[in-house]
Amino acid sequence: MDYVPHSQIPGHKSRQTGAVSLKGIKKQFNFKDRELKVLSEFSLDVQPGEFVSIVGPSGCGKSTLLRLIAGLDDTYDGTITLDGQRVAGTSLERGLVFQDHRLFPWMTLEDNIGLALTNRNIPKDAKAKLVADHIALVGLKGFEKAFPHQLSGGMAQRAAIARSLVNEPKVLLLDEPFGALDALTRVHLQTELQRIWLAQGSTMIMITHDVEEALYLGDRVVVMQANPGRITHTVDVNLPHPRDRASPVLHKLKDEILAELTHVPEPSNPVVRLIKGDDQ
Amino acid sequence: MTLKTLNLNAFKPVWLLGLIPPVLFLLWWDHEAAKGGANALAFVSLAQVSQALADMLASGELGLSYGSSLGRALSGLLIGGGIGTLVGIAMGLSKPVEWAASPIYNSFRQVPILGWLPLIGLWFGSGDLSKLIIVALSAFYPTVLYTFEGLKQVEARLLDVGQIYRLNGWQTFWRIQWPAALPSIFTGLFQALAFTWISTIGVELLFSSGAGLGALMQQAQLQARLDIVLVCILFVGLTGFAINFLIKRLSQHVLSWRSIRA
Ligand SMILES: Nc1ncnc2c1ncn2[C@@H]1O[C@H](COP(=O)(O)OP(=O)(O)OP(=O)(O)O)[C@@H](O)[C@H]1O
Ligand SMILES: [Mg+2]
Repeated sequence: MDYVPHSQIPGHKSRQTGAVSLKGIKKQFNFKDRELKVLSEFSLDVQPGEFVSIVGPSGCGKSTLLRLIAGLDDTYDGTITLDGQRVAGTSLERGLVFQDHRLFPWMTLEDNIGLALTNRNIPKDAKAKLVADHIALVGLKGFEKAFPHQLSGGMAQRAAIARSLVNEPKVLLLDEPFGALDALTRVHLQTELQRIWLAQGSTMIMITHDVEEALYLGDRVVVMQANPGRITHTVDVNLPHPRDRASPVLHKLKDEILAELTHVPEPSNPVVRLIKGDDQ
Repeated sequence: MTLKTLNLNAFKPVWLLGLIPPVLFLLWWDHEAAKGGANALAFVSLAQVSQALADMLASGELGLSYGSSLGRALSGLLIGGGIGTLVGIAMGLSKPVEWAASPIYNSFRQVPILGWLPLIGLWFGSGDLSKLIIVALSAFYPTVLYTFEGLKQVEARLLDVGQIYRLNGWQTFWRIQWPAALPSIFTGLFQALAFTWISTIGVELLFSSGAGLGALMQQAQLQARLDIVLVCILFVGLTGFAINFLIKRLSQHVLSWRSIRA
């Protein structure tokens, strides 16, 4: 494999920290008195500053995986480390952008972003400056005092991204951040996210349903299958950032991944077969 | 003049429609009262009612009774609503408290407020303390219920965000749970206000010693002074109306973040 490390990609601000390592992750939920295996033997090493995209069918455990890395759920087997340190609980070093923006409707944009800094030990005016800088970063200057219901979907999602960036996390986890947006806004925000990533250089792990998006942004695209959720394929995208959407390389890779995803094997997990049977 | 000042839509005479039924009613009333005769006791003329109003205002009787009722309602609301909110918060935040308090709360709630009167009368007499307890109870029930429900319904997806940013217990409560529960808490306050006013008048009617609009009505009834009764009813009704109006305004203001995009 001739994978070019992110640090050799021109324009990328290199970082020494932000290495995420997942080893033998197993996760199951108890569902109707049965064990539902959601993730099985999931292992992945993400380099500092790397952008990894994860694609996979609905229900294959992508959101579950991010919740584990974020520290929202501690009940799993295997190990997750950030820069060699075992992950326990949430941390400001690991940011998370949810699929829905999850801004608090009773707070202004400014206060929503400021909330992320609540427990940072820095002076008030430094916090205010960080908030203002990040509002500017996502192009929302002038909307500081707006409430979420006064923002469009795309603006709210940008605000959510600003909120997760304000702590300058070593790794940013993005769970289908643009899933709910129209195609045009999505393209626009993808470009912006790429710009921010190039400027900040933090590690990014992004989940998406959109193979094109995964390829456009990712240094690597991880393809998952369901039942149980596991990695079936990893695609290196050896193109410098910022990228050209029309690149024939991206199109070729896209066809490959789509072929992989649309080939659906019989479910091997008896519980899932059972649940599917229930539905009929 | 700008176009804006000429905007006729800004003038909405809808509330005037609400005046039609009472005006029609008053006209009919006066017409009936003028008949006199057998109907004389049931119907007093509007002139008599206005005279009674003027007399009661002049003697200070109305002011005293009204002030006393209003004071009782407000202190009952403050005490019952305050304790109710605290109990609701404790039940909403702590499972053990919920398990310990729910059964007794839910069974006591089945007893109508005025059903407590005999017991409280026996324990505390029929003075101001007993009345205050009844009024406070009527504010207590809805505030507990709606504070508790409001906190229970805070979505896990919002609490996740608090966890991601490592908010501690107090920060989570103050920045997320409390504001998220506020619409429900306001609904409770709304009900508490209505209940306190009604139970204030009710308890004054039943424990008719001391000052208050209810007591005044009770005495007027014994003296067959329908005009005084009517003045009292008028003030009870208008006050309830004003209270609802104020609460609505207040909740609109505090919950302005909920407003739907126009
Ligand atoms: N709290 C839970 N309790 C029980 N089962 C759960 C829970 N959370 C998720 N699951 C199950 O785990 C599986 C994976 O869910 P997850 O949300 O991770 O999927 P996903 O890959 O993110 O799907 P999508 O692309 O549709 O968002 C699903 O079958 C789901 O039903
Ligand atoms: Mg998901």
